[in-house]
Amino acid sequence: MVEKKRKARGEISRSEKKGKKSFQSKSNKKKNSKDEKKGPRLPSALQREVDSLNPRYSDNSDEDEEEVHDTDVYEYNEAQAEEDSRKNRRYDPVDNLEYKLPDEFEDENLSSDDDDDNVDHAGESKSGMDMSDDSEDDVEEDNAGRHARMLQKITGMPAEIFDGMKKKSGVVSETYPESEYNPSQDILDGDGRITIQDLLVPLQQKRGYSELNKRIRKLESKSVPVQTPISKVVQENVERKVAYEVTKKDITKWEAPVKRYREATTVIFEKDTNVGFSTVGAIASGFKPRTTFEKKMDSLINDSKVVEAYKEDGTRLLELNKISIEDVMDHKNSLAKMRSLLFRHEMKAKRIKKIKSKTYHRLQKKDKLKAAHADIDPEAAKEEATKQEFKRAEERLTLKHKNTSKWAKRAIGRNLLGQDEGTRVAISEQLNRHANLTRKMYTMKDSSSSDETSDEDDDDEISPDTIPDGVSKLLTKAKEKTQKILEEEDEMGTSGVLSLPFMVRGLKKRKEEANAEAKLAIEDYESSLKQLEDTNGAGTSEIRTSSGRRVFGAARKQPEESVNRTKSDNIDRDSDSDYEYKANDNFDVDRAGNGALQKEVPLDVNTLRGESDTGNKSVYMSFDDTVRDPGPKTTHEVAIFASNSWKKVGNKNVSNGKDKKSVVVVEPTWPHQDLKEVDKDDTESEEEMVDGFLSSGTKTDYELPSQEDLIRRAFAGDDVEEEFEKDKLEVLNEENPEPEKPLILPGWGQWTHIQKKKGTPSWLLEEHESAKRKREESLKKRKDAHLKHVIISEKINKKKINKEGNTGPNTVLLNVEKLHAKSLPYPYTSQEAFNMSMRVPIGPEFHPAASLRALNCPEVVKTPGHIIKPIAIEEVNPHEKDEQRMKGQNQKTKSHKTNNVKAAKKMKIKHKSN
Amino acid sequence: MGLISMQTNSETIVPSLQLPLEDNNGNELDPKVKKYLRGDGANLEKLKDKKLKGQLAVREQLYGKSAKAAAQVEKWLMPSEEGYLEADDLEKTWNIRQDKILSEVDILSSRKPFDLVLPDLGPYTIDFASSGRYMIVAGRKGHLALIDMMTMDLIKEFQVKETVRDVVFLHNELFYAAAQKKYPYIYNRDGTELHCLKEHGAVLKLQFLRNHFLLASINKFGQLHYQDVTMGGMVANYRTGLGRCDVMQVNPFNAVVGLGHSCGKVTMWRPTSAAPLIKMLCHHGPVSAMAFHPGGHLMATAGMERKIKLWDIRKFEVLHTYSGHAKTLQFSQKGLLAMGSGSRVQIWKDTAGNQDYSRYMSHSMVKGYQIGEVNFQPYEDVLGLGHSQGISAILVPGSGEPNFDSWVANPFETPKQRREKEIHSLLDKLPPETIMLDPTQIGTLKPPRAKEQLTKQEREAAMEAAIESAKQGSNKKKTKGRSKPTRMQKKKQDEIVKAKRPFLDQQLREEQQLLNKKPKLNEEVQLPLSLQRFARKKAT
Repeated sequence: MVEKKRKARGEISRSEKKGKKSFQSKSNKKKNSKDEKKGPRLPSALQREVDSLNPRYSDNSDEDEEEVHDTDVYEYNEAQAEEDSRKNRRYDPVDNLEYKLPDEFEDENLSSDDDDDNVDHAGESKSGMDMSDDSEDDVEEDNAGRHARMLQKITGMPAEIFDGMKKKSGVVSETYPESEYNPSQDILDGDGRITIQDLLVPLQQKRGYSELNKRIRKLESKSVPVQTPISKVVQENVERKVAYEVTKKDITKWEAPVKRYREATTVIFEKDTNVGFSTVGAIASGFKPRTTFEKKMDSLINDSKVVEAYKEDGTRLLELNKISIEDVMDHKNSLAKMRSLLFRHEMKAKRIKKIKSKTYHRLQKKDKLKAAHADIDPEAAKEEATKQEFKRAEERLTLKHKNTSKWAKRAIGRNLLGQDEGTRVAISEQLNRHANLTRKMYTMKDSSSSDETSDEDDDDEISPDTIPDGVSKLLTKAKEKTQKILEEEDEMGTSGVLSLPFMVRGLKKRKEEANAEAKLAIEDYESSLKQLEDTNGAGTSEIRTSSGRRVFGAARKQPEESVNRTKSDNIDRDSDSDYEYKANDNFDVDRAGNGALQKEVPLDVNTLRGESDTGNKSVYMSFDDTVRDPGPKTTHEVAIFASNSWKKVGNKNVSNGKDKKSVVVVEPTWPHQDLKEVDKDDTESEEEMVDGFLSSGTKTDYELPSQEDLIRRAFAGDDVEEEFEKDKLEVLNEENPEPEKPLILPGWGQWTHIQKKKGTPSWLLEEHESAKRKREESLKKRKDAHLKHVIISEKINKKKINKEGNTGPNTVLLNVEKLHAKSLPYPYTSQEAFNMSMRVPIGPEFHPAASLRALNCPEVVKTPGHIIKPIAIEEVNPHEKDEQRMKGQNQKTKSHKTNNVKAAKKMKIKHKSN
Repeated sequence: MGLISMQTNSETIVPSLQLPLEDNNGNELDPKVKKYLRGDGANLEKLKDKKLKGQLAVREQLYGKSAKAAAQVEKWLMPSEEGYLEADDLEKTWNIRQDKILSEVDILSSRKPFDLVLPDLGPYTIDFASSGRYMIVAGRKGHLALIDMMTMDLIKEFQVKETVRDVVFLHNELFYAAAQKKYPYIYNRDGTELHCLKEHGAVLKLQFLRNHFLLASINKFGQLHYQDVTMGGMVANYRTGLGRCDVMQVNPFNAVVGLGHSCGKVTMWRPTSAAPLIKMLCHHGPVSAMAFHPGGHLMATAGMERKIKLWDIRKFEVLHTYSGHAKTLQFSQKGLLAMGSGSRVQIWKDTAGNQDYSRYMSHSMVKGYQIGEVNFQPYEDVLGLGHSQGISAILVPGSGEPNFDSWVANPFETPKQRREKEIHSLLDKLPPETIMLDPTQIGTLKPPRAKEQLTKQEREAAMEAAIESAKQGSNKKKTKGRSKPTRMQKKKQDEIVKAKRPFLDQQLREEQQLLNKKPKLNEEVQLPLSLQRFARKKAT
């Protein structure tokens, strides 16, 4: 209830004040807004303090207070009450400001109390706060107002003028003594104020007064009225604004680094591991002489004269290399001393080395003995023999080792042999020695050389000094043998088949060739013999053979080599022949499988090799014969990889007799019956085949086409196209089916004449039309719409396909769609951008290693254990691009490197000059 | 002293070296860089997302750098260039005969050409391993031989005693497949029969897709088979429906198999679709041969009606038509086109660079020899010929890739490397789905397709099925009061409604769309001509 009352009271006062205020505001309009001064809006706590300090103030009259406000410049004055401004709606809106107290309402409370209450209503208007309830006051106020209005009306001048008049004539009703706290009216009006001048007066005698005075005057003359401070809220607002601006500006420094981090493809957090110098040269380049010695050396090395001389000419270096005679002498002396010392030391060492133990000498003796035995030097042997003989004689005479010694006798006498093994061994050894020594001379030879063998074997063992002899011997032998064979061949039998004329002819021919070969061989031998005599060197490994047969082998080899030399592009002969044999073997195996149907071809590796002695040609000829002969069964001679059938197309000129002669290996035969499956065209031209080598002429050959072919050709283009068109139409219909024609079941809707007239309903027709249009459009969209001769299938095979190409239970899912992205991934908005971004594959196969890392680098690279620090501000020009900076760094490092290298080079030069 | 002189030398050399390098950066490297860039980047100007734009820009920059680096490295990694025959003014390159070439080339190259006369075992077909080191030779009458082309060793030779129509190497020289009388067989290096692929039937032509490990075959009845040689599974089996076909080639670029048919059509297949990807009418007569350029943009076909055509298989258009026969066609690694007919081989070359092929070389065998197959030896300038009288090889300068990449195909492979490579290639084996006309599309966004609208009947059927399944759903046995028959019934009804809902919703949506669309149409249509200008005003 009490609260309600208070509120009501407050409201009354407000309403009353309002009237006044409205009046005031009217007048204010004409005044400067500056002049309007009102009391400060203090916080309630402060207000209370003030009140307690100044009781008079609390229950002062209206005028009084107004005056105070007038004079007090520093008091803040709000233009509008806060609650009236309705900021933030912090205050309850008051609906009924015109609320009036009921007439019968009686005010019981006293003003002082009320004032306190008013203070409690801190949020209310100033007028509300310092409102007094005194009715007289009210009346007076009213009167004043009326008076003012009257004056205004009369004079037509603004009410404020009179207002001021009225204020000045205010009466101070209180009778308090004048004091600091109760300033008199004069003071309040500004008349009795204490000025600075007044304050200065006591200082007149003091030093520095004049200066002070001057300054103050200056101040006064320039003085400008200090503006009223703005309200705290506004001030704070302003401050905040400024602070915001400042921080906004300040925070831009982060923009660059943050942007850099944000835009960076990878952020790398790693320890800045500066390895420093990596090369010896780099380390050397940083060397600076410190000690005096080093400095001295440096000055010498870096002597410009020396460097120059080194660069220009060597002779000048010599000039610079002057040495005094004393130095040379000193050097010489010291060298001599060193040498003599060394010599002495050496001698001493030699002497010490010579001193050896007894056992050493004994062993050495033994070794020597052995060596002497092994030695075949005749003279030494002789000497040795005499020595041995002497020893033997001595032994026989003295019988030193025949258990004649005291020790031996004693040992035997005491029968120690059975007990002590050592003595037993020693005695037996002694006996052995005796036996050895007394043995006859020739028996000593037995152990070293085996029994006598044949002379030839002896010859075989060729000691190093006899090698040339042996080789020459061999060669001569070979020569002799070839000659012998030549003679033998001359004497070949002339009876039997061989006497037939053609055989004779053939033999003759062969013989001639063989002779030629043999002669060649002999020549070769001779030449090699000569060579051997000349050089007397080694190189015997070429001829390892001694038998007659092998001589021929060697003889065969020679011409072959020569052939190879002449046509260097030929395939390696040896390997070829290997293949022949291999192939042959293979076919042998096959043949075995085939069994009896096949004919054995008497071809054997060994025989081939062996018979090649007498002349290659003849052998192969006979082979040819054997193959061609064999009767009824058709046999095939297939030369696979025979070296001669690999005829080089361009190598015609090389095909001489030698070449032809060599191998034509015969393939085993295959029965024809097995190969019944022969297509016609396979055998067409077989009869016409030219056996032998392919000619490489550029003649064209054109066969006349057969009748059938001609006919087909003539009628070829007849209906192919039409067929294709039909085909295409079919496919089109299948993929874009034609809409069904609007069909009406017969009888339906045709009951009457009218209905018949109407025909098919329009909606049906429409549907059909639209379907048709749709189809046409889709046909136009097809890729092959403009290609008459092409059908591009647009069928999507989503179905599962099984082995038979049909859909069924056992299916393999072949989904093509999984190779495509189903929808655009997030940041992309255009398909083109996405597709283009996918065009370059990322993988080690597609990029050089140098650029691969950059492509697939993760967003953040962090070495374990590294602490990530907050971003630091770097003074970076934001407009400079990263790349440029990087470049700059690179250049720096590069230049550094080159410097290093240069320095290293310099160092090298210096060392050289040393 | 020596050091100093060296120094001065290097000082003088360095600038002279550097100058051309800079020039190269400007001019020479450009096409190479372009090659490694694999097309242009996206237009970043259009992008609105700044972050994405920045990221893509960085990526593009990296790609550019990488391409540049690759191009620079290529200079050192691929030092040799192919050399072609160059004739003087009056001379013609096709008049230069093999012996003339042989007298000029180095010793090693002069050892490469050969003629192997094997008259009895029928026309021969040949195939080279991917490295070009090994050659497999098959005579029609059952003669199979494996030859090491570097040493000219005969590794294995045997007789299968059956018709052999075609032979092809699998992923390395250890295995090869031979199309024999009834079935294709797989043999190993030692001639041991490993597999008999009965499902393929009497195969006429074999091809091996290296990256997919698929053995493709076309048999007498025009059936195309794809078999996975790793697991052995039959991947696909399609009827071409175009009769007997013995022309088959794999496009090395995208592993699409091309077939040439007797009706003049060429069809292109992949294992994942039963219908041919492309069906094109190339010739009026039967197609006698076809070949694909390794770049994947060119196809050459030869018809019996004396025509040889070059096709752009990106646009499916004829580039050039020449008249002439060809029993067999083959593109070399460097794009030379060899064609064999009768006993004559011609090699054509794209001299101008505009795909207009012209005569480059020609070679005639002995009259009467019928060339059955021409095949370029990879990484060598050699053309292998299989003919009725055996096999031959001739030198064709500029046909092979001069620089081999040992990670792709290494002619000097050791057994260890081969084993390693086998494992790697198995790990990198591509699934059969990746075979498509444009393999660069893999990884991109799914191409937009017209929505496949189900017909009304189909939709109804689907709904029926859904309802049926909802009805079938067995109810849980619940506590006493909760599984009363009425409740059960109600629940079932609910289920049915739930199953129906999506279909009904869709229907409703479609109807709505139609409704939304219709008025617009009506407005446009209904306005009379005289009123249309007013209508426009209204719209604005």
